[in-house]
Amino acid sequence: MKAEVVSTHRGGMWSWVFQRVTAVLLIVMLAIHLIFTHILNIGELNYDNIADRLAHAGLTAVDIILLAAGIYHALNGLRMVLMDYWFTSRTRALILTIVLWVVGIAFMAYGTWALWPWIS
Amino acid sequence: MSGKPRETANVGVGLWKATGMWAWLLFRISGLILVFYLGAHIVIISTGQFGGDGETLNSLMKTFDHPVLVLLDLALVVAVLYHALNGVRIILMDFGIGVHRHKLLFWSAMAVVVICFAIFAWVAFTYIVTGEGVTS
Repeated sequence: MKAEVVSTHRGGMWSWVFQRVTAVLLIVMLAIHLIFTHILNIGELNYDNIADRLAHAGLTAVDIILLAAGIYHALNGLRMVLMDYWFTSRTRALILTIVLWVVGIAFMAYGTWALWPWIS
Repeated sequence: MSGKPRETANVGVGLWKATGMWAWLLFRISGLILVFYLGAHIVIISTGQFGGDGETLNSLMKTFDHPVLVLLDLALVVAVLYHALNGVRIILMDFGIGVHRHKLLFWSAMAVVVICFAIFAWVAFTYIVTGEGVTS
């Protein structure tokens, strides 16, 4: 019987572990984010009702965790896909990893800036 | 990085045939859609802070309240739910749960997708038809 392998851990053990840790975080945080923003809300979203929600420190914390976990999970997932196609050698994979970290940190900074009025 | 297949609990249960192969392909496609969406979401929603008085965000929200865009949100919900529930299935199988019943596990996950989707569809259509939130 031919061996069939699902998780080959190509991206490294920590990338595999963090992909799962962020997955669990995302399910919980995204559920809270969607329920509070789109199910328990008051119809049309506007700056005032969004600001009212984010005035609760817990919901701002949810958004920040969501931002960090989402960016990590998305870019690490993209990295796994791209490493299947063109970034197959060690050097190319390393370049890809560095580029994605820079992109990720930039997105994290931009998203944190947008949430800053409720963080500070 | 060796290409040598590693022995895992997944050996020989047919995970790469039929259901498992489609589950993987859709997982990858939904993942790529979500990467693109997350980038757009962060970039666009954050521009709502430009000007500092909330007017930019309010005009963005008016645009997003168009019925066509609410329906696109609903399509996004499908991608999110599929990716989330198939992800739960993958994590369960990492712990060795359901590996030999992965088809049953897959279809159970899809049942949860359908139930959650129904809730979001109810919210979306209530909003499109009445312009109100479901709890307002």
